[in-house]
Amino acid sequence: MSKLVTGDGRTHVESSLMRESLQDRDVLGRTDSDHDLQIFPDVALVSIGGQSIFDRGREALLPLADELAGLMKRHRLVIGVGGGTRVRHTASIALDLGLPVGGIAQLVGAMEELNAIMLNALLSRHGAMTMQRDHFWDLPLYLNSGITPICISIPPYHLWEPPPEEGNLPAHGSDFGLFQLADVLAFKQLIYVKDVDGMYDRDPKKDDGARLIRHATLDELTDAEGHLRQADSVLDKQLFWAWKRARNIKRIQIVNGLVRGQLTAALDGHDAGTVLVKE
Amino acid sequence: MTMDRKTIASALGESSLTDTGIGSIDYQAVAVMPDVRVVKIGGQSIMDRGRAALFPILEEIVACRKQGIQVLLLAGGGTRARHIYSVASELELPTGVLAKLGSYVPIQNARMLQMLLAKHGGIFISVDDFEKLPLYMQLGCIPIMNGMPPFGYWEKRGDDGRIPPHRTDAGVFLSAEFLGCTRAIFIKDEDGLYTDDPKKKPDAELIRRISAGELLARDLPDLIVERVCVEYLPRARWLRELQVVNGLRPGEVTRALHGEDNGTIITR
Repeated sequence: MSKLVTGDGRTHVESSLMRESLQDRDVLGRTDSDHDLQIFPDVALVSIGGQSIFDRGREALLPLADELAGLMKRHRLVIGVGGGTRVRHTASIALDLGLPVGGIAQLVGAMEELNAIMLNALLSRHGAMTMQRDHFWDLPLYLNSGITPICISIPPYHLWEPPPEEGNLPAHGSDFGLFQLADVLAFKQLIYVKDVDGMYDRDPKKDDGARLIRHATLDELTDAEGHLRQADSVLDKQLFWAWKRARNIKRIQIVNGLVRGQLTAALDGHDAGTVLVKE
Repeated sequence: MTMDRKTIASALGESSLTDTGIGSIDYQAVAVMPDVRVVKIGGQSIMDRGRAALFPILEEIVACRKQGIQVLLLAGGGTRARHIYSVASELELPTGVLAKLGSYVPIQNARMLQMLLAKHGGIFISVDDFEKLPLYMQLGCIPIMNGMPPFGYWEKRGDDGRIPPHRTDAGVFLSAEFLGCTRAIFIKDEDGLYTDDPKKKPDAELIRRISAGELLARDLPDLIVERVCVEYLPRARWLRELQVVNGLRPGEVTRALHGEDNGTIITR
């Protein structure tokens, strides 16, 4: 039983952290372990890129929606969506206006909502429903009823987006947001659907010599701090920083949503696209 | 079959949004509400001391507000937050869940502050009310909110364990930085920053003024503000200083709200 402790002018609740400074490294270290509780270990998260898929319209979306409709019957899925070119337009106007980084972070989620609604319109007859991203405690209700939730990806940092290490854009983007969701909930799979065959060592749209990375470990891709070694990446750099410190996610796949069957192969556990692993 | 992206032409074009480059855009930052004083009321340091510590501080804040100083109060958590962090850590809950749990205690404290300040214009606000700050300030109110930033489940695990790195000090820092303020004020129960925890090491020395870079280089085992605040300060666009003052000493809060350099100043 916890009890109240007084005597130093404060009233404490007895606990292992009572009276302690939560800035003290030794105290913080005592809260640590190599393991996080696994909350939803049988769910897969599929991210549908904004610029890479949604901005291509029906030619990219209809076949992918068809593939998803089939997969939703066989897998317990959550679908996350990006925002794409409207997000970039929002940010470029906001930068020209001189809005703070938190102001830009506040604005972009609305452009992802649009893609969530559109994808939901395509998939609702197969059992999809949009879900507020922080309502995931309702997941058993959705998944046990055969419903696949669709949510936006950007993390809810809003006006409180931390100052970026470089530049004036929010560092915590959509890929990172979905990574955090998947890691906190200990999802069994995390698959990013883009319009390239996976992760390249350079931007394949700008550089013909870019090499596709079929398989890589997190340690090969990042330095000891979790900073990505290569300059360009198909996934947010913050994702790699967070992954370095995370406890749950061991494998991330990036597949080409323009090639039918890649997502299916990945969800069925095959090595499609790029496979990144944490050892 | 064409498979073009239907893009909107913009300066960011097809660049990755988390690229650091901003292309051709000449970024000239606009300060949102730079005259607001963003002030943290410590949880363990002030709220958990109850009436004896809190009432004199609130009197000073109310007097300053009546003089026209705009104050936004953010509440810390304290011992009940430590209790939930302790229990949740035993269960090995992830950092993101701890961050969510950690936001409930500061909300309680913010509501307590609101009840006490209601007759002087105290208003409890949520994250979604933040954009109404101009109204509250023009009406002479004292808005009060949860100090935890709204990261919740999306809080990243830090380097030093399971406890969320962004807690109520970080919320004060990031709120002040968003508003375009040059200083953030932290009301605690010590005269400022010490070389170690002064409650446990009586020979710890008070540091009156130090730069964030120097402070990080010292790699102190303990700090009076959350480490992320010190790490973010050098790259903040607006914030230049973090001020830590002792709310238990009469007059210190008033001096800080008037812009004096009392307590400890951590500089950019």
